[in-house]
Amino acid sequence: MKLNICHLYPDVLNLYGDTGNILCLKRRLEWRGIDSEVTALPIGANADFTRFDLFFIGGGQDFEQEVLLADLHSGKDKEILSAIEDEKVFLCICGGYQMMGQYYRTHTGQQYDFIGALNLHTLGSDLRMIGNYMFRCEALSGGSTVVGFENHSGKTYLGEGVSPLGTVLHGYGNNGEDGTEGARFKNVFGAYCHGPILPKNPEFADFLLQTALSRRYPGATLPPLNDVLENKAHGYMTNRMEKAV
Amino acid sequence: MRFRVFLAVTACKLSIKILRLFGRGGTAIPGKIALRICPDLLAALAKDVNCVVVTGTNGKTTSARIIEEIFLRNGASYFANRSGANLINGVTAVFIENATLTGKPKKENAVIECDEAASKAVCKLIDPAVVLVTNVFRDQLDRYGEVSGTLNNILIGIQNSPNAVVCLNADCSLTASIAERVPNKVVFYGVDVPIYKDPVSEVSDAPHCIRCKHEYDYTYRTFAHLGGFYCPDCGYKRPDPQVSVTEILETGVSHTRVRVRVFGDDDIVTINLPGGYNIYNAVSALTVSEAVGFPRNTAKEAISGFSCGFGRMEEFDLGGHSARIILVKNPAGCNQVLNYLSGLSEKTVFVCCLNDNSADGKDVSWIWDANFEKLNDLDALIPEIYVSGIRAGDMAVRLKYAGINEDKLRIFSDYDALIAAMQTQPLPVIIMPTYTAMMDLRAKMSAVFGGKEFWE
Repeated sequence: MKLNICHLYPDVLNLYGDTGNILCLKRRLEWRGIDSEVTALPIGANADFTRFDLFFIGGGQDFEQEVLLADLHSGKDKEILSAIEDEKVFLCICGGYQMMGQYYRTHTGQQYDFIGALNLHTLGSDLRMIGNYMFRCEALSGGSTVVGFENHSGKTYLGEGVSPLGTVLHGYGNNGEDGTEGARFKNVFGAYCHGPILPKNPEFADFLLQTALSRRYPGATLPPLNDVLENKAHGYMTNRMEKAV
Repeated sequence: MRFRVFLAVTACKLSIKILRLFGRGGTAIPGKIALRICPDLLAALAKDVNCVVVTGTNGKTTSARIIEEIFLRNGASYFANRSGANLINGVTAVFIENATLTGKPKKENAVIECDEAASKAVCKLIDPAVVLVTNVFRDQLDRYGEVSGTLNNILIGIQNSPNAVVCLNADCSLTASIAERVPNKVVFYGVDVPIYKDPVSEVSDAPHCIRCKHEYDYTYRTFAHLGGFYCPDCGYKRPDPQVSVTEILETGVSHTRVRVRVFGDDDIVTINLPGGYNIYNAVSALTVSEAVGFPRNTAKEAISGFSCGFGRMEEFDLGGHSARIILVKNPAGCNQVLNYLSGLSEKTVFVCCLNDNSADGKDVSWIWDANFEKLNDLDALIPEIYVSGIRAGDMAVRLKYAGINEDKLRIFSDYDALIAAMQTQPLPVIIMPTYTAMMDLRAKMSAVFGGKEFWE
């Protein structure tokens, strides 16, 4: 078995250690004897999107945003939309998550139009929502918690047809107002969660892998791994935040 | 005004004494008290002092220490902010400590390490004679900002230093760009050749041209985004440095020997510190020495003879084997430690201590931007890796995903156990802590193995 992973814009969307998610996906497949191939798709590069099973897109700096949007609107946006229609798995973090929505409007009123794959939008604010946080992720069996670090000033609001990825237990989440965090639409998973999200939340990592695997190889399952270190790091943060409340 | 100066100086000196009486070396609080009493105090105290300001993301402390050694060996009367108190309160406190009660300076010169954001205000008040900018990297402390924000802070600092000669790292496209935005006299320094045979691969913090946003090409790289950058589109390129390293002659565990060209003259310099980034620190100090006007030979002697800064390659004797502490603050610094490890010739235990207090950066995700995968090439050289600190759990996971065998990892929940383990095993130790982990660990190690208190 083999999964093809596409890393979108690693040249510019590479902040906050989020590329650790790619490493995590690769290792967790490797440890189970499943092959994987990671294709980096920087600005200007093209590829056959139908090959890929799983996409990752992270966050970046404003400095490069114009270059990025031009590249996105030159055709990649349509490829992304049809991959989503095909139920492929997307993990979108922070800036990458916002980018899957309709638009971002700064507090001076300037609007950046995004892909519009998910019915959500983001408004710039003066509040920086920063710190360790956790949320209960409904997609996971028993609604397990996901821990990480959020760092955003954009407030994201979900529209119809999009469900939140989870309920905030500690921290701000999407907007610090409605208790939601992230978004799920088909197999697109968006969140503000740095950390990076996957290594310290192995259950969530495996949920993404299982979803991608089932789509490519119906009936295939992931054998369990020894996650002692991962769960220890996860448990330390849930304990700390529970005490802080 | 004069009475306020007197009052502020007295209050500050007194509070420093009281803090030390209780075994604390803080200077931030005394400085804050003084500035509360007399907001113009720093400008008044610095009026008759020749100041060298050292700023930039990485290498501030080590560069400032070498510069200090140059002042010392030239017999110049100077003081410096030794304990890394590099915000305005700490800088004020050190000026007070070196002034009489009426605010007259006791020394003629000052070597001031200054935080990038604080440099805006500090430079305006002390009107430096020389400003050194070491480099601009993405730093985990201000990760919500962008490197352009850091660069802008430094730029404003220099714009507030109308009388300064500015020494800039020509190899850093961000730092070098300052030259065209200020009227000051600029001296560039750099390294003309690659430093490492096989450097860790790194994410560039500045892949795109600062003028036109086209991607840079490089004729060579030293590490990270440093090297012979040029923009194939608009032509912006690395300026020719007046002071540069033209050849790396020898890289050892404890020192480096390089050939330099200083305003056209060739020379050989031994740097009393290992590590490629210390080549930059040494050549930056040499450049400052030239800008101040000191004789070249004294600078060379200082570079080959100075001793390590606080937690920067600082060495402890564990009783027969040594431990070196190398402070890290961000992925770039971490990658440099990994480059250094790969040049070691004897088996070594590697210790990672990760904290997430404010001074360390509360977001520990930056460890995933550092190339710990390099440790796989060093499997035989590093038989054991110890992990400790508040976020030891995250560090252990990072190493596991880098490909390190879990059997090789030992996790210590407290520093006493860690120190005991380092002491009982026979191999030399390299410790890589974040800032507050370094402070805690260093205090404990000084108590056990001897060492200076941090304000000395």
